[in-house]
Amino acid sequence: MDRRSRRRKRTRKFLINLVVAVVAFVILAIELYPIAITVLNGFRRDIHILSGQPFKLSQLTLRSYQLVLKNAGFRIGMRNSIVVGLLSTFISLLVGAMASYGIARFKFKGRNSLAYSFLVLRMLPQVSLVIALYLMFSDIGLRDTISGLTLAHTSFNVPYVIWLLLPFFTAVDRAYEEAAMVDGCTRQGVFFRIFLPIVAPGLVVGAVFAFLNSWNEFMYALILTGVKAKTAPVAINGLLGGETLTWGQACAAGTIMLIPVFIFTLGMQKFLIRGITAGGVKG
Amino acid sequence: MRRKMSSKKLDIKQKNATSKTNKRTKEGKARGRAPFLFLAPAIIIVFAVLIFPILFSLVVSTYNWPLSEGAGIRRFVGFGNYLALTQDSEFWNSLKLQLGFIFIAIPIELLFGFAAALLLNREFFGARIVRSLLLLPVFFLPILSGMTWRFMLQPRYGPLNNLLIKLGAPEISWLGNPTTAYIAIIVQDVWRMWPFMFMLLYAGLTAIPQELLEAAEIDGAGFWKKLWSVIIPLLMPTILTSVLLRIIDALRVFSEVYVMTEGGPGSATMLFSLYTQRQAFGYQKVGMASAMAIFLLIISIVFALTLVRKNMSLDVLEEKAGA
Repeated sequence: MDRRSRRRKRTRKFLINLVVAVVAFVILAIELYPIAITVLNGFRRDIHILSGQPFKLSQLTLRSYQLVLKNAGFRIGMRNSIVVGLLSTFISLLVGAMASYGIARFKFKGRNSLAYSFLVLRMLPQVSLVIALYLMFSDIGLRDTISGLTLAHTSFNVPYVIWLLLPFFTAVDRAYEEAAMVDGCTRQGVFFRIFLPIVAPGLVVGAVFAFLNSWNEFMYALILTGVKAKTAPVAINGLLGGETLTWGQACAAGTIMLIPVFIFTLGMQKFLIRGITAGGVKG
Repeated sequence: MRRKMSSKKLDIKQKNATSKTNKRTKEGKARGRAPFLFLAPAIIIVFAVLIFPILFSLVVSTYNWPLSEGAGIRRFVGFGNYLALTQDSEFWNSLKLQLGFIFIAIPIELLFGFAAALLLNREFFGARIVRSLLLLPVFFLPILSGMTWRFMLQPRYGPLNNLLIKLGAPEISWLGNPTTAYIAIIVQDVWRMWPFMFMLLYAGLTAIPQELLEAAEIDGAGFWKKLWSVIIPLLMPTILTSVLLRIIDALRVFSEVYVMTEGGPGSATMLFSLYTQRQAFGYQKVGMASAMAIFLLIISIVFALTLVRKNMSLDVLEEKAGA
C-alpha cells in the first residue's frame, strides 16, 4: 500500500512538472518573441518587412548589415560607444574602487552619510541633471565631445561601482592587508598590490556592468552630443527618424549592439541581481 | 583553505605583538588622512557632475532662462517658474501620465513576477534555461525595446495588426490613438520589467527555509493558506524593495518612450522626463524645465532615501563580513 501511494505521488509530481515545463516554455516564447523579431528583421530586406509578409527562411540576407556597417553615422556612433564605454568604465572603476575601499576599510566621521549619499545619487533621474550639464558643457566647450559624454557617464557609473563593489570588498579578510602593512607596505601600496588582485573577480563584475550602463545609455548621448560624439543608440534612433523607415538597418544595428549585452548577461548569471540593483538590495 | 587563513591570522597577531610600538605612531598619522585620500577622487567627480549640476539647476530654476539668445531675455523670476508650472495644463498632464504609468505598470509587473516566481520555483525539464533566458528583456536596451514595440504596433505590416487582419478584424492604429498609445507604452514596460520582479522575488523565494513550508504542510495548510501566512509575510521585505527599485526606475523613464512615440500622439504619452526635455530643448524654456527637474529630483530623493533607510545595506554587509 505504501509503495503504491508513493508511486502515485511520483506520477503526480511528474505530471505537475510536465505541465509547469510546458507553461514555462510558452511564457518564455512570448517573452522572447519581440527580441526574436528584432534580430530576424536585421536579416530581412526592408521590402519584405514593409510588405508584412511572414518571415521566410529563403529571404534571409545580410544586406542590412552591409548597409548599416557602411553607414558613416552608425560607424561613428559605434566607435564612440566603445570609446566612451571603455573610458567611463576605467575611470569609474578606478575611482569607485578607491572610494569603496575607503568606505569598507576605514571608520571615520560621516562615513555612513557619505556612503548613503552615493547610493541616493545613483538613483537620481538623468533628466534632472541633463539640463544643467548641457548648460555647463556649452560654456566650457565640452558639448558634443567624447570627454564631455564620458564625464556625464561617470556621473552614474561612479556611485554605481562604489556600491556594486562594497559587498566584494567587505568580504575580504583584513588579515591580508594587515600582514602587508606589518611588512612595511603603505596603505596605497596595500590597496593596489595586495587588495585589488584579491578582489579581481569583483572588479570584473564592476567593469562589465559599468560598461553596459554606458553602452545602453541614451538620454545624455541624445542631448549632450550632436554629430561628432554621438553614440550608437543615438545613431539607431536616427535611422528610425528619417523620411523612410529603414527597419532592416535599425534592427541589424540593434542586433550588433545586443551582442555584448547578451554575452555578458548570460555569462554573469551569478551576479545579475547584484549588478542590476547595486546596493539597493540587502547583501 | 580555512585552516591556512586562521594560521595566518595567528601569525599576524604574534607579529603585531612584537612590532606594536613602532607601528602605532606611524599608523596613527596615516589613518587620519587615509580615508580621505581614497575617497577624494570620487567626491571630486561626484561634486563636479552631480552636486554642482543640481545646485546649478536650482539657480536656473529661479530664472527665466531661454536656451538661445533669440528666445528671450534671461532674468530672475524667483519662484515664478514653479508657480507657472501649477498653471500649466501640460505639466499636470505629464504628471498624471507619469503617475498612471507607475501605478498601472508596477502592480502588474509585481503580479506577473510573483506568479512566475511561484510557478518556476521547482525543478522541471529546462528550468535553468527558462529562468535565465526570461531575464533577457530586462537587459534588452531600452531604445531597442521602444523600437521593437514601435515596429510590432505599426499599421499594415506590424505583426500585431497583421494578426488582426488575418483574423478578419479591422486593424488598429495603436500608436496613432491616444489611449492605445498610452496602453502600448505600459505594455512595453510590463513586458520588459516583469522579469526583473521575477528575478528578485525568485531569489527571495529560494531563500525561504524549506522546513517552514513543510511544517505548514504538515499542519494541513493548503496552497493559498501557505501562500498567505508563510510565503507572503516572509517575502514582504523583498517585495517592498523591488517595488521601490521599480518606482525609482520608472520615475526616470525616457529612452523607451522617446523612441517609441516621442510623447505623442499629441501629448498622450508625454511622461514627465519627456515633457521636461521638450520644455528645455523644444520650447527653449530652460528655467521652467529646471523647475520640473528639481521637482522630479525631490520626489526621487524621497523614494531613494526610503529605500536606503529600509535596507541599510552597509551594516548588513559588515555583519556578513564579520560572521
